[in-house]
Amino acid sequence: MKKFWALFFFFWPTVAIIVCAIAPSRGWWFPGAPMSRTGIQIDGLFYLILIIVTITFVGTQYVLGYALWRGATKDPREKAFFSHGSHKLEIIWTIVPSFILVFISLSQLDVLAEIRVISKFPEKSTKVAEVKARQFEWRIRYPKPGTELTTEENPGDLYFVNELHVPTGKPVIVNLRTQDVQHAFFSPQLRVKQDAVPGLVIPIWFDVLEVGTYDLVCAELCGWGHYKMKARIVAQSQSSVDKYLTQLTADQNADGTKSEAAKSGE
Amino acid sequence: MDVVAHTLLKDILQFSTQGFDMATVSPALDTHGHTDDHSHAHHEQSFIAKYVFSLDHKIIGIQFLMTTLIMLMVGGALALAVRWQLAFPWENMPVVGQLFGLFRSEGGQISPEFYTMLFTMHASVMIFLVIIPILAGAFGNFLIPLQIGTDDMAFPALNMLSYWFMWPAIVCFGCSFFVAGGTAGPGNGWTSYPLLSDLPQAAPGSGAPQTFWLLGLTLVGISSMMGSVNYLTTIINMRAPGMTLFRMPLTIWSMFITAILQAFALPVLTAAGFMLLFDRLNSILPTDIHSVFFIPANIIVNNAAPTVGGGQPLLWQHLFWFYSHPAVYIMLLPAMGMVSDMLACMSRKPVFGYKPMVYSMAAIAGLGFIVWGHHMFTSGMNPALGMTFMTSTMMIALPSAIKVFNWIGTIWGGDLKFNAVMLNCSGFVAMFIVGGLSGIFMAAVPVDIYFHDTYFIVAHFHYILFGTTLFGVFAAIQFWFPKMFGREMNDTVQKWHFALSFIGFNCTFFPMHLLGIAGMPRRYADPYLHGYLEHLLPMNRFITVSAIVMGFAQFLLLGNFFYSIFRGKKVGRNPWNANGLEWTAPSPPGHGNFDIAPVVYRGPYEYSSPEAEAIGQDYILQTVPHVKGVPKLAKH
Amino acid sequence: MSLTPSLKLLTLAGLLSLVTAISGCTDSAFESSFVYSQGTLSLMREARDGTKENLGVKRLLDDRFGNPQHLKAWAEMPIDFGGALTTVVEIKELPRGRKVIKLTVEEGQTLPAKAANLKFVTGGFAGAGLHVEEWNSETGEATVTASESLTISASDICAVDGGTVLTAGRMLYMRHCSHCHGTSGDGNGPTARYMTPKPRDYRNGVFKFKSTNDMSKVSRNDLSRIVKYGIPGTYMPSFLLLKDEDHHAIIEYVRFLALRGEYERKLVAELSSDFSENAYKSRINASEKKEDIQKELVEFLAVDLKESAKTLGADLAEIWAAADTEEAAIVPSVARIPDTPESRRRGRELFLSKTLNCADCHGIDGAGNGPQTIAFEKNPLKADELYNEPGLHDDWDNLNQPRNLQLGMYRGGRRPIDLFSRIYGGIKGSRMPSFKTTPHEDIWHIVNYVLSIPFETDPGATGIAPSVAPESLVPPAAVTVPAAN
Repeated sequence: MKKFWALFFFFWPTVAIIVCAIAPSRGWWFPGAPMSRTGIQIDGLFYLILIIVTITFVGTQYVLGYALWRGATKDPREKAFFSHGSHKLEIIWTIVPSFILVFISLSQLDVLAEIRVISKFPEKSTKVAEVKARQFEWRIRYPKPGTELTTEENPGDLYFVNELHVPTGKPVIVNLRTQDVQHAFFSPQLRVKQDAVPGLVIPIWFDVLEVGTYDLVCAELCGWGHYKMKARIVAQSQSSVDKYLTQLTADQNADGTKSEAAKSGE
Repeated sequence: MDVVAHTLLKDILQFSTQGFDMATVSPALDTHGHTDDHSHAHHEQSFIAKYVFSLDHKIIGIQFLMTTLIMLMVGGALALAVRWQLAFPWENMPVVGQLFGLFRSEGGQISPEFYTMLFTMHASVMIFLVIIPILAGAFGNFLIPLQIGTDDMAFPALNMLSYWFMWPAIVCFGCSFFVAGGTAGPGNGWTSYPLLSDLPQAAPGSGAPQTFWLLGLTLVGISSMMGSVNYLTTIINMRAPGMTLFRMPLTIWSMFITAILQAFALPVLTAAGFMLLFDRLNSILPTDIHSVFFIPANIIVNNAAPTVGGGQPLLWQHLFWFYSHPAVYIMLLPAMGMVSDMLACMSRKPVFGYKPMVYSMAAIAGLGFIVWGHHMFTSGMNPALGMTFMTSTMMIALPSAIKVFNWIGTIWGGDLKFNAVMLNCSGFVAMFIVGGLSGIFMAAVPVDIYFHDTYFIVAHFHYILFGTTLFGVFAAIQFWFPKMFGREMNDTVQKWHFALSFIGFNCTFFPMHLLGIAGMPRRYADPYLHGYLEHLLPMNRFITVSAIVMGFAQFLLLGNFFYSIFRGKKVGRNPWNANGLEWTAPSPPGHGNFDIAPVVYRGPYEYSSPEAEAIGQDYILQTVPHVKGVPKLAKH
Repeated sequence: MSLTPSLKLLTLAGLLSLVTAISGCTDSAFESSFVYSQGTLSLMREARDGTKENLGVKRLLDDRFGNPQHLKAWAEMPIDFGGALTTVVEIKELPRGRKVIKLTVEEGQTLPAKAANLKFVTGGFAGAGLHVEEWNSETGEATVTASESLTISASDICAVDGGTVLTAGRMLYMRHCSHCHGTSGDGNGPTARYMTPKPRDYRNGVFKFKSTNDMSKVSRNDLSRIVKYGIPGTYMPSFLLLKDEDHHAIIEYVRFLALRGEYERKLVAELSSDFSENAYKSRINASEKKEDIQKELVEFLAVDLKESAKTLGADLAEIWAAADTEEAAIVPSVARIPDTPESRRRGRELFLSKTLNCADCHGIDGAGNGPQTIAFEKNPLKADELYNEPGLHDDWDNLNQPRNLQLGMYRGGRRPIDLFSRIYGGIKGSRMPSFKTTPHEDIWHIVNYVLSIPFETDPGATGIAPSVAPESLVPPAAVTVPAAN
């Protein structure tokens, strides 16, 4: 029975490793490849940490299992090994992990600065829209075509809900704010997440690498309908975005007369 | 209250005049084998005075233990309801749906605001009514006087009050379930971020239930604060003669450090709670006078706009996490200390690196105060702060790593006793490794940007709070059970309990890492609304079934616990052949704990030492004077 | 050690059986029931539950609409229930109790390529369904296994795969909508009580934001816009990203609930004046005989109610079907007047004018704070009684204050045509009246003005004096504060 329990502690980390190893093939992994430049960097850092962590995990768990196995298979007459510890070992396992941890820390700084420090935002980025979260949807406001996005609303601004159109291949800035409580702008495929804090306008930037639609969900508890904040980011070429905005302008100015209705196809 | 105040005053006076009276009492030698129960029964007490409003630290500890075990089941039931919704979204809840007639026209379908209440109350109950009180309240109370060799706490009446302040807290939390009409308590998460928790109209349950929740929180805080003041005083002033700081068991060290953490962090939370209450005054009193600490201008919530603003919701997050991050260590350090004790005893070896263990605990506590910002990496906080907090958070992994290596070092080469205590402690170490390592992902800001508020974090903190702390507690319950009740728990049932809990636990929480990697946000009543999460339903069903297995396995513990109180095998003073002072007292110790006041001659972990061998044992009690003919060790 | 092995086994067995019991309870999905309206419940017992010979309101309602698990009524009602309506042409007997039923569809429609079941709408088997074993879509022949009670005959109407859309709609409704709008569409789900404004109660058949003229019902297109784009300023979120067929199914189910509610309300209206519990009490007090009332009720149930149950259905079907026609839609006779300062000024004049009197509710600078918002309104349901709180109320008796136009939040949509429709058709169920007699040009001026309100730097200061003196905008003297008791 002693050996059983020692094996028990070998067994479960093995299962855990196997589950992790097969996870990507079973779809229990990232929701697709990262679709933004920062997303690729984030994934790279994730895998860097994952490798370090996996080695540590396997090492410590199996050493623990082995220590138990030794105890289980020991000659019962043999006394316990009497020791109050080892100064040398303590120093080793203080210094080595601290180097690894400092290394991990330092490796994060550049990406963090790139994502969050406003003065380091890409120079040629365009402010495409304001995303205003509210319970429980995303209200999108585009500036009137040909004008700049401002914090205040302007006449002729275009409004839509739960669908954000952005051009691909270039950095875009979205002004994030909330009308009521705290929300978080989370696009799993783009690896973008930022809280929308009441009273603040927070610019976020990202560049979408490929044409497609990506999920946009809320990642900060915002009330009973938190899970309902389902939206999407539609990434398309600049010309398609312009076309979309033209169509949106026409829709938003619809006056319901017959000719208008025929034009917009409603 | 007069009586209490009087007793309190008396305590303080007695304490200041008596000081170290017991230093003159001769030490107890090997008291193993004695089974006398009530050596110090001074006078007969009524049942109420003895078992209900008791001033005895042991009874208070047991009261805490019983209360928290009941609360553990309540919190577990809430968790299972959460799991039900995630496995079978919107499907009618079995049993409970019909039993309580919840949402009758929906036939027992959980409504989303009820779901928010479920996870909020699950967290609140588990954190404030189970883990903090079971560690500091139950074991802190029971063990501190016994392990440092004194007859009771410094302030017994304060101690009793600390327990009895739990009950108003429980009542307040209980009220918050029902005051809003029965289907929604506070639904703002245990973090209660404003504005959700600030404006009564912001969410169902942000009205009266949130107020009751905040009151409950304050009362729990008062209880903890009374406890920590008491522990600090007791540990500093009332140690037995010879019990130097570095002869204290690691349990005492951990309780000591925890008490410091509580004493310094709690005021911030209490202050923040009162700021929130002041913001919410208009929901409590029929007045328009309220503060705006957390309410900014120009917001419209639920079709109503506050007329004034100017506050900042991020302030709450800073204040809240300034308490709640140290609180994570409050919920962890005592378990670390107790496990160190138990591992040494079950390995028949001294703790590997006693002083590094103490220093690393102190380091965790110190660093614990400057890492709170890692909960706010996506909050829009200044990125320079993000970098600082990332580095400090990475650094706090270091003492944790040192502790893990030392625990493994303790087991290494030991004469291991494979009982459930040992298994639970090994489980503790194994789970702490997982929880610690997954924390590294969260400490790295860019990676955390993706993982923040996904199931990855849910997995991480359950590995710490359940996997680590509760497995430590399971071990501690069995280990000190003989001292509490004079009987032992059934080890086979405990092994079954361990196996089912451990497997159930890992099947429940390990896959949650993968859910997090797949981007499933937490606190979603229906994640499958989102296309990229639809395929995770089978995994969530698996998790739920595992959680049910784990939940029901706890009945084994409860059953064994209550059965053994009355029918367990009677044991003597030192059933584990351990070294600590508590094992020199009778089981259970009578009023005043020790029949002979102990004097300490050595550290608590001298298992298998040459001195022990010289007297033909593999342990040597702390009260045994220097054995002649054995060379004295340089330290310890 | 002190536990005997058998006890251990028992514990384990108990644990396992509990686990299996819990995890086995998974097929109870979405079981629910419709509730009856307050009106129905306030009727006399016989009127409610019926007598031995005659059906009461509850049965009449259930017979026509069924319950959530068994939805009915698709045939008569203008609802796309899913599936095709067919008529039985002939029935051929096969050996071993099997039958082949030959079906035809109306001209211009086609039979579905696949079919799994038949649901009978009329005839002796009405309301029941049959599993289709073989289906020939060209000839329209369905092979079924006939049970003894199968009493179908030629010219019965049955639906092939009937109700798939409604059933799908119900499942979606239970997932996305019912916790606010309630299983029966009464706007009283568990989440509803925490909301301002309250979720819509469909049972009046009244929807606020529609593009049909003031006498018409809401069109499918209007419902679709609400579901897709949400209602800013309320808790109705946008469900834009559901699939198109999901939108369709939800809308059909909402129409179903609205029709059911309206049908129930109309039935009750036939009875409530004479046969409600209250009416009964006052009639007894007026020394009418108990037996006479009972007799009168039985007669009424047997003749009048039966008759009106039929005609009511047809009437409802007609007016709901009409909502989707071109005649019902609001179409401005002139295109939008260009949004110029002159037009806005004209709009503001009209806004403040005595004839339209927008400012009476919306306030002189559109902040939604006109005199009516602080006046005590008469309760239309209770004669000579005022509401307890000041302000305007809606048909559901909830406080419903006029919109603050400065916020730039337009619940029914922000397109000019949306605002035009709000003014032209009014907002049903609220105190916003229809201004259909106002010239369309004038409405456009007002639309232009209203759209400019959020951007006014100095609200109300458009350079013209209000056409009414500010003094007249304070609450009129006629408004009284309720007495202290």
